[in-house]
Amino acid sequence: MNYYVRKAAFYLAALWAAVTLNFVIPRMLPGNPVDILMAKLQQRGGSVDPAARQAYETLLGTGGGGSVFSEYVAYLGNLLRGDLGVSVSAFPAKVSDVIADSLPWTVVLVGLATLLSFLLGVGLGALVGWKRGTWLDALVPATTVLSAVPYFWLALILVALLSTGLGWFPLNGGYDVVLDPGWSGEFIGSAIYHGILPALTIVISSVGGWLLGMRNMMVSAMSEDYVLTARAKGLKDSRIMIRYAARNAVLPSVAGFAISLGFVVSGSIVTELVFSYPGIGSKLLQAVQNNDYALMQGIFLVITIAVLGANLVVDLLYGLIDARTRDRSVVS
Amino acid sequence: MTNLSPLTEVAPEVPRSRNRWRGLLPRWSPKLGTGLGLAGAIVLFGLIGPLVTGDPATIRDFGLTPPGGEHLLGTTVTGQDILAQLAHATRGSLQIGLLVGIMATVLSGVFGIVGAYAGGVVDEIFSLFSNVMLVIPGLPLVIVIAGFVPPDQRGTGTISLVLAITGWAAAARVLRAQTLSLRNRDYVAAARVSGEKTWRVICVEILPNLLPILASQFVFAVVLAILSEAGLSFLGLGAANSSTLGTMLYYAQNGFALQRDAWWWFVPPGLIIALFGGALALINFSIDEIINPKLRDRARRARDVVAVETDTAAAEQDAVLTVKNLNVVYQADTPVHAVKDVSLTLRRGEILGLAGESGCGKTTLAYAINRLHRPPAEVTSGSVTFHDRDGEDVDVLALAPEELRAFRWVKLSMVFQGAMNALNPVTPIRAQLQDVLRTHRPGMPASDREKRCAEVLRLVGVDPARLGSFPHELSGGMRQRVMIAMALLLDPQVMIMDEPTTALDVLVQREILNEIKRLRDELSFAVVFITHDLPLLLELSDRIAVMRDGEVVEYADAEEMYLRPQHPYTRELLASFPGLNDDRGALIR
Repeated sequence: MNYYVRKAAFYLAALWAAVTLNFVIPRMLPGNPVDILMAKLQQRGGSVDPAARQAYETLLGTGGGGSVFSEYVAYLGNLLRGDLGVSVSAFPAKVSDVIADSLPWTVVLVGLATLLSFLLGVGLGALVGWKRGTWLDALVPATTVLSAVPYFWLALILVALLSTGLGWFPLNGGYDVVLDPGWSGEFIGSAIYHGILPALTIVISSVGGWLLGMRNMMVSAMSEDYVLTARAKGLKDSRIMIRYAARNAVLPSVAGFAISLGFVVSGSIVTELVFSYPGIGSKLLQAVQNNDYALMQGIFLVITIAVLGANLVVDLLYGLIDARTRDRSVVS
Repeated sequence: MTNLSPLTEVAPEVPRSRNRWRGLLPRWSPKLGTGLGLAGAIVLFGLIGPLVTGDPATIRDFGLTPPGGEHLLGTTVTGQDILAQLAHATRGSLQIGLLVGIMATVLSGVFGIVGAYAGGVVDEIFSLFSNVMLVIPGLPLVIVIAGFVPPDQRGTGTISLVLAITGWAAAARVLRAQTLSLRNRDYVAAARVSGEKTWRVICVEILPNLLPILASQFVFAVVLAILSEAGLSFLGLGAANSSTLGTMLYYAQNGFALQRDAWWWFVPPGLIIALFGGALALINFSIDEIINPKLRDRARRARDVVAVETDTAAAEQDAVLTVKNLNVVYQADTPVHAVKDVSLTLRRGEILGLAGESGCGKTTLAYAINRLHRPPAEVTSGSVTFHDRDGEDVDVLALAPEELRAFRWVKLSMVFQGAMNALNPVTPIRAQLQDVLRTHRPGMPASDREKRCAEVLRLVGVDPARLGSFPHELSGGMRQRVMIAMALLLDPQVMIMDEPTTALDVLVQREILNEIKRLRDELSFAVVFITHDLPLLLELSDRIAVMRDGEVVEYADAEEMYLRPQHPYTRELLASFPGLNDDRGALIR
């Protein structure tokens, strides 16, 4: 089967699994989310008509009653229409609108921070592996210890030192609240300024993983025959390091992107709470604290789809940087 | 460097551990020591601390006391002793870490090892399942699950189970890959064929070999569990009524410890997590070194040549390369003297054969000539002199790094086993050929470079259209031709060929050999041809050196050696190839 077809099939399967998991979880676990939701809705002055109740039952289960299968079909139908229900914590906003407001913040923050951390980690890892046996070796245990630090705690420390202590960065938030969100230079500047500390937290905590993986692969690649050939060819050291050793050593780091991305996303959710960042992580926690099950589920689904999408992109890139992958799957 | 007496005569190979289990123990290193010490101290603190310190819940009327005096680490906003809280929380976090670590490792073992061992549909399904679990982000899933379970039903067991379910997939993938390679090993196949039960094969033959990986994954799972639990508790979603480092941080955050500058409240819990995670990571480094011995610490080689003799060898008539009394030693724990006092002369345009069994030092010698030997190999004495066409003598061992780089490939190129991994697998042939021209002929226009690459490919009988191909798209013979074409690029005077035809079938081997001879006749470079196949050398070379245990035992004209082998070892080698005197022998010249 074609490499790309295989990949697409896998991600479809993963997507289906995530969607189904989302459907099954509230039905399997104890408690009666629909009743809690209806009570909340009433407090907020929402309509408690049977239609609203039925919408939530499709999403969360009836606790007996109707057929699970027909609920599943209706649930899939709602998803296809982009209807994720109504949020009670942000009533009467629709879940999809709440998500649409907060998603860009997280995508930009986590996306940029992850990219930065990947480039930094892989670059440093290549260098540390290449210059093995020098003082650079000390970077490996140092950054590994950093990646064992809980994200949120590191965030607290950074805030204590750089915001409270030195006053270099704002304490929290995603932008200066006196500004109107929009594409003005002032607003974007403020958003970048507010994003530096959360991004720094993510980079510091995740760079060690990339560095260690790259360094180890680099050490293995350096004993390969093609590196020997390159040395015999009299190529410059920098060229051998980049075009021969690192070019091969980076492949597993790219292939293992999925694992690391999951960690980064998980960590950044908690980081957002520390910074009261207006992203999707804060919204997820807000949803959990308010028993806003519809929002909770919608956010989980969106996070999962985003992670799947990022992995799909990386997988497709992998096919480009390693020609062997494409051809091998043609044979099998 | 004259005293070579303590050197042994063993071939340069890693000594095998006599005891199968000893190889599974980490080597002692400062990293391992620090890691074990730190982790041990924290575990002890979690075990003994709660017995010694007072009740962590006692409320006193002096909140937020800084460290010192009666309360070594100060108090919380409600006057609770932080040290006591820390001891109990450490114990709580360690318990969850251990519990989740065990469950996740068992799950990954079931899905990774059993799936890979069973193969077929089971493997496909298990592998798909692990991969799906891997791409679904763990913590959001845990948060959602924890959000649905009412707080009074969120026990430590539930939280641990959820963390284990979301945390095993990465390890399963690693275990699967390793099991797949193990199940094809000879001893496993033998056990299967002899009808041993599946569970027995897995437990006796496969598991012991996976132990280092399992250990490393377990350690990793423990760290991940402690971190995830801390995150969950910090969000207020942890197990009800539990006391962990995460819940401590939760109360610190809600007690505005940060805003009140009560660093003694929120720093210690995080520090314990970080130190414990760091300590386990250090332990994991040592485990990784068992799994992949290449990662072991090694001092960077300061030099590849120890002593250089200033008197370069006087050129024998027509010589292009003179090797005099060359010694190469692998500076391992017990140094291995791989090349002993070797002297050789390569004449312009001749093919010099270098024969011997694997491990006799012939490859080490060939690499040392171009100073390509890798640490811990060191040239301890001797000289290598290159006599240039224009009359200048080059002392190869004395070249500065930049001079050496400029010397390589221009004057002396090498042909490695192209059928193996000598070509870079991820770039097309074109890039690998052009690299040489870019480096050594920086002024060459792009069109000329392309032309020259096509030209050398044509010289070795490869269609220039193949320039865009990747190595894996070429057959073994074709890759070997590309290697030779690459060696021809700069029109070198010497070419060292290391087993260039060993991995090829007989017909292709014959074609390549004829090609080498033809090119040598046309372009008149000299060749050092290395192989274990003495009859092949008799046919191909002008002169032959036979090596054994690092020494040249016989060095003579090919015909002379064929007709009148002097050394008993040469005779032994000749006799070991059957049919030399009939059909194949008749082909000679």
